[in-house]
Amino acid sequence: MSGPIINWIDKRFPLTSFVKHELTDYPTPRNLSYWWNFGFLAGIVLVMQVATGIFLAMHYKADASLAFDSIQHIMREVNYGWLLRYMHAVGASAFFFVIFVHMARTLYYGSFRAPRELLWWTGQGLLLMLMATAFMGYLLPWGQMSFWGATVITNLFKVTPFIGDDIVIWLRGDYSVGDDTLTRFFSLHYLFPFLIIGAVIVHLVALHTVKSSNPSGIDLKAKDNIPFHPYFTAKDLYGLGIFLIVYSVFVFFMPNSLIEPANNVPANPMVTPNHIVPEWYFLPFYAILRSVPNMFGGVVAMALAVMMFAFMPFLDRSRIPGGARYRPIYRIQFYLFLLDMLVLGYVGYKPPTNPSIVVVGQVATFCYFASFFVVPFVSKMEESWLIKRGLPQGIMELMEREKRDLEERKQEHRRRKGDTV
Amino acid sequence: MSTLLKVMLLGLLSMSAYAEEAKLEKIEVATDKPALARGAEDWMNNCHSCHTMKYVKYRDLLNLGIDKAKVDGWRGEASLDTPVIAQMSEADDMATFARVPPDLSLMAQARDGGPNYMYSYLIGYYLKPDGTAGNHVFPETKMPDPLGISSASDAAQRSEIKKTAGSITSFLTWAADPHAGERTKLGNYVMVYLVLLSGLLYLVKKQIWSRLK
Amino acid sequence: MEDDVKDGGDRRNFLIKLTSVVGGAGVAAACVPFVASMNPTSDVLAKAETEVDLSGIPPGGVHTVAWQGKPVFVLHRTPEEIAAAEATNGVIDPQPDAKRVIKPEWLVVIGICTHMGCVPTKEGPGWTCHCHGSQYDDSGRVVRGPAPKNLEVPPYHFESANKIIIGKA
Repeated sequence: MSGPIINWIDKRFPLTSFVKHELTDYPTPRNLSYWWNFGFLAGIVLVMQVATGIFLAMHYKADASLAFDSIQHIMREVNYGWLLRYMHAVGASAFFFVIFVHMARTLYYGSFRAPRELLWWTGQGLLLMLMATAFMGYLLPWGQMSFWGATVITNLFKVTPFIGDDIVIWLRGDYSVGDDTLTRFFSLHYLFPFLIIGAVIVHLVALHTVKSSNPSGIDLKAKDNIPFHPYFTAKDLYGLGIFLIVYSVFVFFMPNSLIEPANNVPANPMVTPNHIVPEWYFLPFYAILRSVPNMFGGVVAMALAVMMFAFMPFLDRSRIPGGARYRPIYRIQFYLFLLDMLVLGYVGYKPPTNPSIVVVGQVATFCYFASFFVVPFVSKMEESWLIKRGLPQGIMELMEREKRDLEERKQEHRRRKGDTV
Repeated sequence: MSTLLKVMLLGLLSMSAYAEEAKLEKIEVATDKPALARGAEDWMNNCHSCHTMKYVKYRDLLNLGIDKAKVDGWRGEASLDTPVIAQMSEADDMATFARVPPDLSLMAQARDGGPNYMYSYLIGYYLKPDGTAGNHVFPETKMPDPLGISSASDAAQRSEIKKTAGSITSFLTWAADPHAGERTKLGNYVMVYLVLLSGLLYLVKKQIWSRLK
Repeated sequence: MEDDVKDGGDRRNFLIKLTSVVGGAGVAAACVPFVASMNPTSDVLAKAETEVDLSGIPPGGVHTVAWQGKPVFVLHRTPEEIAAAEATNGVIDPQPDAKRVIKPEWLVVIGICTHMGCVPTKEGPGWTCHCHGSQYDDSGRVVRGPAPKNLEVPPYHFESANKIIIGKA
């Protein structure tokens, strides 16, 4: 880059070197598959949600007596208001879909392993913030599902020891979900995306420190890396095109498929709908909440279920790189886990009045946690089995090298300790 | 990885399809203006006395192509920009039914089954042995059979009533989502554009990656 | 590995150029709904027309009605007021009275001072704006500054002898 303006800026701000370091010279493994597109997509969806949200907020009224009407005002009288609202509503689902695929890819290929633990944990933090934002946003239309969803979820905090009831009232600012709850949810729903943007920057700094993982799991030598731009910008943009096609099918042709019919009825604190269900992206966790017969246990189980992913760097004890690619047993575990998630989602959708559904939910909940707890033992056994069976040459060398490095570090540590004594 | 995911997604879709109510009558809602205008008239004649439609304004009815004189008849003294309010006052409702009939602006989207539910409900009245009318779809309903299908035994009369019910359902579907026509039209253009753009982006990606050996 | 094609080669590449134009057009088109959403909504636009019933305004009386949220003065002029208005053309922004009315008995003007946007008060013959002392006559023409222009006449028409619609000529 040259030109007087760029020169002027470069003397005052490291623009050229930044672009060079993070984009045109940023080394990226050339063997990344399309499963590596989803982080970029999540960023785009975040931008779209913020943009549509800001414009919706120009017409939305965060007042219990006006909120429902103002949504209809947006849908009927605001120019392209229907488009903005459907984009925002479908965008929420798209965000979770993209993030779930992003997480599944990380789990499948073992991308959470050293040295990417911090990258994975900032991602876990982002998931929690995304869930909080989605939950608060869901109250804003002030329909029946909004109201009862917020009622149930704020009630979860009742299990806090000693001060549970006070916390619930504090969260709501009222004895039940009411006008003050709506106003504070709106305020926070507007704030959280900006916190998410900040956390995304941390996530990206961590990524650019440890660089991308890749399907083979082996840290590629310099000759197998290619610059991010133009190769991955082109690939990411193509992926974006495909994503936008799917997204637009929902926005333009089936936007109401993601909105529960009961949410087209204004909130009524006197009547609970017969069948309250959360949005699809919360269904597996909702099923876990309901499957534990004890209220305290249910809440703890649900919170733990979301947080279990953070433990994966500790749980996976195998030294074989590449996640499921070179590990057949881990691959089976991965697919069984996905299947279990789908079963839990189905259970979460069904009314809990059916006893066989309850049993299925309890078994699936047990399987959910079990699939995490068996990882340390299975991964270790799988490792020794695979080594005995024989691994591709490159992988064996890599593992040998890692082992040597570890030994050297240990000796270094011992020697220094000896010096000081 | 991809085939298995596809199978799972298909499974999930079929599960949600299975969850649909099975006993509802299916109806193809009309979306053309003349049919909606007819539906609006049927709604005005059969429902307007008790039900409001507060997100629809008299001007919207005018935009469906209904005769101004007819709309003026319905609105009386009210301006064109007032919402469509029931003829009966809420106090009279309370005295007669002990409850206020619900607003119908969003009703076509407010029940599982949507328009199918509305239609099946309207034609779901039948005569119980004690001579009163019951409803198959919504047994607890307080609304007396509005179209009189429970007492109609003649086949021609019944099919006429079903036609009216379908026409009202079409109107309610429009009222719940008046921009649906505009939305799908714009959606078609957007789809054509996105497919074109994705095709181009694919070629660009291929070309750029071909520089690698 | 990477070919020798550098950025300079990219810029000449037709396919990339075409894709950039198509993509750029899409981004620009996607901005349209966002910008359009800030325009007046359809229920605000519905207020673009205001009906005024003239039968309740006695000769010499003035009614103020809201049109698009702005005050509009409707003055029922007496024969003397008409004669006085037709006798002059105004001084600062000359205009014959006939050009400012449809029927001489009815003067319809937007009640916003052309100086700084305050609402003038009816005082004696004509209006006085108390913000900066501008004065208007019974044709709404400015007779004393600092206002530079006459009070604006909105588009309106008589729907019947006793009813005008402001907003449409």
